[in-house]
Amino acid sequence: MRPEQTRLDRLSLTWRDPPGLWGFLTTVDHKRIAARYIVTALLLMFLAGMLALDMRWQLSTPENVRMGPQLYNESFSLHGSTMLFLVSVPVMEAMAFWLVPLMLGQRNMAFPRLGAFSYWLYLGGVLTLWISHALDITPDLGWFEYPPLSGPAYAPGHRADIWAQMITFTEVAALAASVNVAATILKMRPPGMTLARMPVFLWAMLVASIMTILSMPAIMLVTSMLIADRLVSTHFFSPAGGGDVLLFQHLFWFFGHPEVYIIFVPATGFVSAIVETFSRRPLFGHSVIVLAILSIGALAFGLWVHHMFAVGLPRLGNNFYTAASMAIALPAGLQIFCWIATIWSGRPWLATPMLWVIGFVTTFVIGGLSGVMTASAALDLQLTDSYFIVAHFHYVLVGGAMFPLFGAFCYWYPKATGRMMSERWGRIAFALIVGGFNLGFFPMHLLGLLGMPRRVYTYPAGMGWERLNQVATLGSVIAVAGGLVFVANALVCYWRGAPSGPDPWGGSTLEWAGEAPAPSWNLAYTPMVDSLTPMWNGAAPLRVADGVAIERREVLITSVTDADPLYRQKSASPSIWPLLSALAVSVMFIASIFTPWAIVVGAVPIGAALTGWFWPQRPRRNRG
Amino acid sequence: MLLCGCSSEAREVGPTVPQTAPIGEQDPRIAYYQDNFGQVAQGGRYFLYYGCAGCHGDGAQGARDLTDGRWKRGGGFAAVFTSIAHGHGDRAYATRIPVEPLWQLTAYARDLQRHMPEKRRRQALDQQAEPRGAAWWGPQ
Repeated sequence: MRPEQTRLDRLSLTWRDPPGLWGFLTTVDHKRIAARYIVTALLLMFLAGMLALDMRWQLSTPENVRMGPQLYNESFSLHGSTMLFLVSVPVMEAMAFWLVPLMLGQRNMAFPRLGAFSYWLYLGGVLTLWISHALDITPDLGWFEYPPLSGPAYAPGHRADIWAQMITFTEVAALAASVNVAATILKMRPPGMTLARMPVFLWAMLVASIMTILSMPAIMLVTSMLIADRLVSTHFFSPAGGGDVLLFQHLFWFFGHPEVYIIFVPATGFVSAIVETFSRRPLFGHSVIVLAILSIGALAFGLWVHHMFAVGLPRLGNNFYTAASMAIALPAGLQIFCWIATIWSGRPWLATPMLWVIGFVTTFVIGGLSGVMTASAALDLQLTDSYFIVAHFHYVLVGGAMFPLFGAFCYWYPKATGRMMSERWGRIAFALIVGGFNLGFFPMHLLGLLGMPRRVYTYPAGMGWERLNQVATLGSVIAVAGGLVFVANALVCYWRGAPSGPDPWGGSTLEWAGEAPAPSWNLAYTPMVDSLTPMWNGAAPLRVADGVAIERREVLITSVTDADPLYRQKSASPSIWPLLSALAVSVMFIASIFTPWAIVVGAVPIGAALTGWFWPQRPRRNRG
Repeated sequence: MLLCGCSSEAREVGPTVPQTAPIGEQDPRIAYYQDNFGQVAQGGRYFLYYGCAGCHGDGAQGARDLTDGRWKRGGGFAAVFTSIAHGHGDRAYATRIPVEPLWQLTAYARDLQRHMPEKRRRQALDQQAEPRGAAWWGPQ
């Protein structure tokens, strides 16, 4: 039903941000925060992509002198650290920030100010790494910096500290975001959306958030231990002093492997949403996909040692991790069969989001198969640290997570902007990116089998690697050109695109119920849900309920399993305190690279900022 | 401070230009070695390899203690360089050690007083398995 204009005006007044710069700095609107996250991550993806292109240029001929070894080390370290820590994980959280409240028909996240804090802290991590790069203090030891190479004896200066502290930034930001997403999904579902009626996308984001909460502390711990070793000469990673260098690898990969799935699981959420809408039938095997996601979430914590097969761990341990690594192909395969069955039995519509899903399935299956190969400890001993590994993880990360992300971008773009992206240019970008990617990365499998190690800045002529490297460079150039077409399409259509209307694709879930672009308050009424596809209820209008205040910021809290309405909760208003708190934390993090006293002294401004943040606002605060 | 950060972190790997001993205390090449973390750390490694730590390690007394900031033959870069190269009698480091490692050793020796003892010990622990003194046969 169409709400009256007075109600909409009242909602806009209640949920608006202050105008101008102050509004920019204080906003707690989940869509504005998510858009910032996404734009920052895409900009970094472009910069790190340029680094990749530069490295491909360097490797396109033997004995090339475009880069020396130091610049090459810095380039791949910056590329990997940026893509893993500053692009892939944050951009998935950003999609959750943007979509979860819309898909729940809620007005904001559970902790609006925590969302703002998360972004500002993430930005602090971005600036830490890239300003250091501008000052030529680029980390140069790869995206995982193993001691003793990164220890005090072999990594003089502050390059390794910059890397370790950048991780602390992004992990605190990721923890803040994940807690927020998990609480929102569990406690703010609309009436009727029981756990059994929760769309796969929300399941995926819930599982990814819980995985983040469980795995990120390991990496924060390990990078803090590394900084302690370097700054105050502790002995965590010094075998001669009673420490253990393998401890670093175990803790790093205890985070590092789940991280791959923290990136991949949200992508399965995108794919499920797109496949359902564009096959125009409810998802085949909803419960199977959800159970597969849950089992991936559990299995992902039992795989980390397959990154360490060459370390020399006990054979029996290697066998166990080989089995576990192969086992994860089962739930991943189940999901893929469910998506194929949905497409097969539906009426597929091959618009660009759906094309990206097809690109995802084909590319990801190749990456999955090379994953089963490398999961074998015996074979991995031959393949590890070769270009085969480079090919494998680009196939799973780009094919398995970035292609669904691009599809999701095209799918939800009309909801964010109220305009359609060009289908023609979308297809051109798709063909260039998927074609260029496969042309660029498939030869790397062969290069790895021919013995080319990863992380070499050049190679002598006559190894038989020249032609394949040139093909790889050509493919990368084509893929980057496709990326530019994609971005240009998005930018041009932001102003010139055809108006989309609220629901251009005939979507199945609640985010399509409201206006496009989504207003600051999302939906005018609280929706009532009675199926997995609440927007596909024949021609009947969406059932809604009133009762949540419109004259003040308020959200509805429901029970965890049955989504029964419990109470109405005040939702935080715009505030400068998240930014100030993030600034105080940033100062402490940066200063603690140079002196341990920064942690003691730096805690004071953080405490002051948090006190301001949590200062009681309720009317009876002075009377008890 | 920012510019300072740049040069102290600069790291160049690969062949370097031929070197000569520093020409006076105003030699413009001094800052390149003395103010650079990488060069100083490289000097620390040679300090171990060439066996300097045998006499000048932790607990060295008197003139052998390089961490007290007192220098018998002057603490300028050129002075320390000369006393390493030519001040060790028949050890004849000027002929046994190539010129660039001598620059790096000098930078490290002059930097030592700024290093905390626990940090030196921590680095030594990581480098414990490395060849040193008579067991080291030079860059391979």
